[in-house]
Amino acid sequence: MTTAATVPEMLEDSANPNAVEIRDLGIRYDLRLTKRTTLKGSLVGMLRRSHAQDNHFWALRHMNLTLAHGESLAVIGPNGAGKSTLLLALAGILQPTEGEIVTHGRVSTLLTLGAGFEMDLTGRDNIDLAAAFLGIPQEQMDALTPGIIEFADIGAFMDAPVKTYSSGMRARLGFSIATAITPDILLLDEVLGTGDQVFRARSQARVRELVGKARAIVLVTHDLSFVTEFCNRAILVERGQLIQEGGPAEIVGLYRDRVAQRKLLAEADAQRFVTAPEVGPTG
Amino acid sequence: MTAPTTDVIASPRPRRQRPGPVALVREGLSELLGRRRLTRYLVGADIKRTHSDTVLGQLWWVIDPLLQMAVYIVLVSIIFQRPTPDYALFIFAAILPWKWFTTTLNDATLSVTGRQGLIRQIQFPKIVLPSSAVIAGTWSFLFGLVALGIVYLFFLNRLTLWVLLIPVIAAVQFLFTMGLGILLSSLNAFFRDIQNVLRHVLRLWFYLSPALYSLSLVAEGNQLIYTLLRLNPFAVLFESYRAVIWGTEPSAGVFLPPGPPDWLGLAVLTGFSGVLLLFGILIFKRAEPAFARIL
Repeated sequence: MTTAATVPEMLEDSANPNAVEIRDLGIRYDLRLTKRTTLKGSLVGMLRRSHAQDNHFWALRHMNLTLAHGESLAVIGPNGAGKSTLLLALAGILQPTEGEIVTHGRVSTLLTLGAGFEMDLTGRDNIDLAAAFLGIPQEQMDALTPGIIEFADIGAFMDAPVKTYSSGMRARLGFSIATAITPDILLLDEVLGTGDQVFRARSQARVRELVGKARAIVLVTHDLSFVTEFCNRAILVERGQLIQEGGPAEIVGLYRDRVAQRKLLAEADAQRFVTAPEVGPTG
Repeated sequence: MTAPTTDVIASPRPRRQRPGPVALVREGLSELLGRRRLTRYLVGADIKRTHSDTVLGQLWWVIDPLLQMAVYIVLVSIIFQRPTPDYALFIFAAILPWKWFTTTLNDATLSVTGRQGLIRQIQFPKIVLPSSAVIAGTWSFLFGLVALGIVYLFFLNRLTLWVLLIPVIAAVQFLFTMGLGILLSSLNAFFRDIQNVLRHVLRLWFYLSPALYSLSLVAEGNQLIYTLLRLNPFAVLFESYRAVIWGTEPSAGVFLPPGPPDWLGLAVLTGFSGVLLLFGILIFKRAEPAFARIL
């Protein structure tokens, strides 16, 4: 980023060994403005603001991370840990509240596959629409389309409106589009479990191929066996904090330990609930 | 999928570096004009979606204003017994642009909140959402012109070359709707009340505009109300449409054949709409980074 102006941008990108640099990243959600706010709600919120300062929460805080080209990073952690928020921030959809993210290379931005489809358009039209959303030139997309159609393998449904698709077909088309454009940095959120066995195998092969092409991948998944098999790095995220980073086997082991520990605690808790009425007086 | 940029710095903008209003408006304008292919696809999808599931399909674009006209004819000519000649054409000249305005403004207002999934999924200039809703709405107006042609079959005596000015008046209305639509779509993301209130505000607005009556009827009454009415953008638009389609009523009971529109009023409204558009873009661009966070 500080290279001389004479160096072409692409050259600079490939020269930089880092795909992603995250420095002291923090993302804060303002609960006063979340879903289904009404004027009344926010007026009330404004009035209460003085004595309720904690109307926001940090989905991510103080996160530092560097990802090199060719690395595939698995992000694991319990639900609500901030994994998806991290992907949204990497995609540029959520802007950091603190710190910064620097990415070198084209970032993929299709996260939950298939949710952006226009239901009344055909699969083929949706490929063009996706290209238009991402600002990919028509000619480039025309060249990619046959490959996308072949990989999605949904047959004659390609010319039927997407609303007639099954959820598996939608996910297959979404995955085909997302991976056809060969981004430098591919973000995948819980997508490997989509489709039937055959498609799963093919999508895993596609991810492996992308890793081989020195593309960086950030993957959010609960499929721990996939993490150890295909990723070469992993991080554990809990409550918006980066707990540990390291080799996939190490992190998966750590995660399993913590889950087991929490499970024990939860069971003990449940035991207490069961026994409590017997021990103490009512209420 | 990939974003077109090769080098993205998704850092928070330090207070000093936050782009000023001029830079924001310029960015918004270039997104509006630059993402034409995306706009085209969104407009196409919009048009396919509307009426795609009814038997008569897009024929409804023609039938709907005709039915609405019939309702008002029954209401006004039977209950109020107005002596206005060729009254059907008189109200149709107002129903046609009004229907265009209300459907378009509604669609534009819901355009951002209706695409939450997309906004949390792909990074793209969100301003194309309201703008393509407004452009798609123009489609309904074009079909409405077919309906106007049908109505004219019964009032051929009123058909003059002045009707060729309809696109000019429509262009002013388009600009006005675009500015208002962009503004409301961003505000509705924060306050969903807007979409609920809008319906009632629009109804009141219609009755406060000279749609079923001409402005000259009000001129005889309270001067203050008359002045206020003249400030209503739809007073200018309705009177202008009517002047080229039906004719004018310079004072109550005096009827003249079609003539020139309210040129001065249209010029002022064009200026006002331009400012409104720039203001709408500014507010939208200010709100845009928060969309993914709050939707």
